[in-house]
Amino acid sequence: MAKLHIPIESATLANGLRAAVSPDGAAPVVTVGVYYNIGFRLEPRGRSGFAHLFEHMMFQGSEHAGKMLHIKLINASGGVVNGSTHYDVTNYFQAVPSNALERVLWLEADRMRALKVDGENLRNQRDVVKEEVRLNVLNQPYGGFPWLDLPPVAYRNWPNAHNFYGDFRDLDAATLEEVQAFFKTYYAPSNAVLLMLGDVQTEEGFALAQRYFADIPSHATPAPADVSESPQTEERRGVVEEKFGTLPGLAIGYHAPERRTPDWCAAAMLDRALHGGRAGRIYRRLVLEKQIAVDTEGGIHYPLGDVFDCNGPTQMVTRILHKPERTADETLAVFDQVIGEVQEKGIGTEELEQIKVKFRSDYYSQLEGGRGSYVPRYGLMHCLACFTLFDREPQLVNTILEDFLEVTPAQVQGIAQKYLVPRNRAIVLRQPAGKGAA
Amino acid sequence: MASAPLPEARAAVPALGPERPVVWPRRAQSTLANGLQVVLVESHTVPKFTGQLLLRSGNAAAARQVPGLAEMTAAVVRTGTESRASRQIEEDLRRMGADLSTGAGADSSAISFSGLAEFSAGLLELVADLAQRASFPAGEFERERRQRLEELRIERTTPGFLAGERLRKVLFGEHPYALVAPTEAQVEGYRREQLADFYREHYQAGNALLLAVGDFSAAAMLEQIEKAFRDWPAGKPVERQEPAPPDLRARRVFLVHLADTVQAQVLVGSRAITRRHADWHRLGLANSILGGAFNSRLVLNIREQKGYTYSPRSALHALRQHGYFSVHAAVRNAVAAATLAEIFYELDRMRALPVSEEELADARNYLSGVFSLGLGTQDGIAGQLATVYLHDLPEDYLETYRDKIRALTADDVLAAARKYFDSPNAQIVVVGDRQEVEPQAALFGEVGVYDTQGNRM
Repeated sequence: MAKLHIPIESATLANGLRAAVSPDGAAPVVTVGVYYNIGFRLEPRGRSGFAHLFEHMMFQGSEHAGKMLHIKLINASGGVVNGSTHYDVTNYFQAVPSNALERVLWLEADRMRALKVDGENLRNQRDVVKEEVRLNVLNQPYGGFPWLDLPPVAYRNWPNAHNFYGDFRDLDAATLEEVQAFFKTYYAPSNAVLLMLGDVQTEEGFALAQRYFADIPSHATPAPADVSESPQTEERRGVVEEKFGTLPGLAIGYHAPERRTPDWCAAAMLDRALHGGRAGRIYRRLVLEKQIAVDTEGGIHYPLGDVFDCNGPTQMVTRILHKPERTADETLAVFDQVIGEVQEKGIGTEELEQIKVKFRSDYYSQLEGGRGSYVPRYGLMHCLACFTLFDREPQLVNTILEDFLEVTPAQVQGIAQKYLVPRNRAIVLRQPAGKGAA
Repeated sequence: MASAPLPEARAAVPALGPERPVVWPRRAQSTLANGLQVVLVESHTVPKFTGQLLLRSGNAAAARQVPGLAEMTAAVVRTGTESRASRQIEEDLRRMGADLSTGAGADSSAISFSGLAEFSAGLLELVADLAQRASFPAGEFERERRQRLEELRIERTTPGFLAGERLRKVLFGEHPYALVAPTEAQVEGYRREQLADFYREHYQAGNALLLAVGDFSAAAMLEQIEKAFRDWPAGKPVERQEPAPPDLRARRVFLVHLADTVQAQVLVGSRAITRRHADWHRLGLANSILGGAFNSRLVLNIREQKGYTYSPRSALHALRQHGYFSVHAAVRNAVAAATLAEIFYELDRMRALPVSEEELADARNYLSGVFSLGLGTQDGIAGQLATVYLHDLPEDYLETYRDKIRALTADDVLAAARKYFDSPNAQIVVVGDRQEVEPQAALFGEVGVYDTQGNRM
């Protein structure tokens, strides 16, 4: 297999802002992202949902670009724009015809320099965010399952354990002063990386970064927070009512190894052996063979992310919807058989080889696309940002695959024995209330 | 790093630079002796390729006898062939680093695939195997049928699904496009032989189109395709005449009762046009200004000004024989009527007044720009190709789209809005708790109330 050689150059401005450029002339389109090293894990206590609400506020106006101007200018340039809040990063990104590159940088620099929002903007976006939560969680079958259900059961440290979308009373309590304070603390240039991918030359990209971002005043990079968890000593369990859906749900999360540690790559291969679509052991056994489940999915840092975009405690999660005539215990027993087999017998050489081929293939696709066809190279941007902010090694994009492809079957078995044990897991039952389908 | 910062220029929005030309990639087209149409595009961004084998028959082809049959057939096609059991198929895919999915919509069935370029021959052989020699194993059929039943029960607790299902029933009447999903009883009644019959009739070379985009040489790829597909018998199904959809005069309200909801799913729609219609581009532009983009009137009004909703949008839905237009928003119960009032206000404003030159220019730029954003990715190109070939669009559709959009005027937009944003005769669907939303829905017309299974309450 040929080594990857995606052209990537990076630099750091005097104010601490990092910049990365990846030129590619396949189309006259450029993808521009700004990633801040802050996600919902570190939002203020008593302000659950604040990081995401804040992301909305970043579209409400900056010093020279009033409300809706950012969106209007990007759309009117023939491009698309959005943002998203993750555990450990918040991103703002746009894909535009490349003749709009300077305009995009001007807009992103303007809002990195100063947020200009008022109470009406905050009230408005609080309402919008509540509708988002209703749409995606409160008014949907299996809304928030398991990404909002598992953390409060699995963790004890508030940053990992709270409601990331936000309790409505916390959203209601948020103030403009808190918005500005959050901006001042976490949206420092030195806590961010600017990315330009596609139809842009390296020198041009850096010159423009300098031109638009260099005079943004530096301020202190936030100190690292303690997101560690005390060791777990026994299995944790929780129950959540399912208001609409007809099938019982079961989610199992095992604490996963820390990023860039020796166990990390082997855990990723183990995860693919277990999850990894219809060829994965869990889907095969529970859905195809035993037919106790209707669907299973899962992964490390599932469902909001993957092994690459997480920089703190996370889990390998399995989400199961099982048949109503079977109990959760019966379903869990079949799941435990699958886990037990890997612990006792490991996985085969041929199986691991297949998993590696698929892992490599998925990684290529992730780099090229990753967010539909409308934000080209979203995945490359995302990986590049995380490798820059978390690891300070942007070139990992080109080399990281090799670490995963060196994993041996014995390492995978060792990880299963070490991590996939009851005292390292949390289980949430999502139980239908049984009145939804009136 | 050169060029100093320019604080004095900070307040001015930078102008757009000179536009770089958009060039659509060359398409290598051919038709095999058995009638299989092949379209190939080279794209060397990553060492992968992506493709679709499309059959020009979907759920509409069998809707009257067996609703959802194309979808069920596609699900079981993946589970076995004369020489490969289900587990073998899944492991073969993983060995080639490939993804594969099968499915069907109203107009077409598809085997979609992507994988490493180095294994393209093997993946094409697997796709050909599924298309020509599916064996419909009895056990797999029964498992898929029971899974479908459970999925269906969940779909009928999902507000967005229920709204779309009801609107299609209303807009299409006796036409098969009215049927989005089967009933539970219909799924209970599926028989394996029905799937095998549908497969025999519709999975034929003369009914198929193979698209592939990726890191290959078109000539070598065509050789692999010929080898894998040349034994597929020629033939195509007979096209049938379908009944005309109803002529809907007067606004009516359809409430789907879902207990205990905290939002009302609002959907307003009327029939519109296919992609082949002469008005397609101007209606697209009108839709973009109304609610087709983030920067649109609907989003500005009911999201950014009023905070009623998170993601309101309007959309054109083009099927092969007919099309329709819809506006949707999920809003808290208390503002269901207020939302409908604003939707009709925006529809009527589009009909009553010409759009400003600035709005027109912004929307033209938006549509022509986003049309080619996917040009640099394999999936982006494949998606556009599927649209062109499935809808039988002109050969130069991709190449001329941007110019056609840029030539449109405010009069074009007004004319399209007056013709298609037919607010006096628009049909209103609301999904939510009857007690919360019925009094509000009734302000807009006579209300028919339905349960989640589609029965009149």
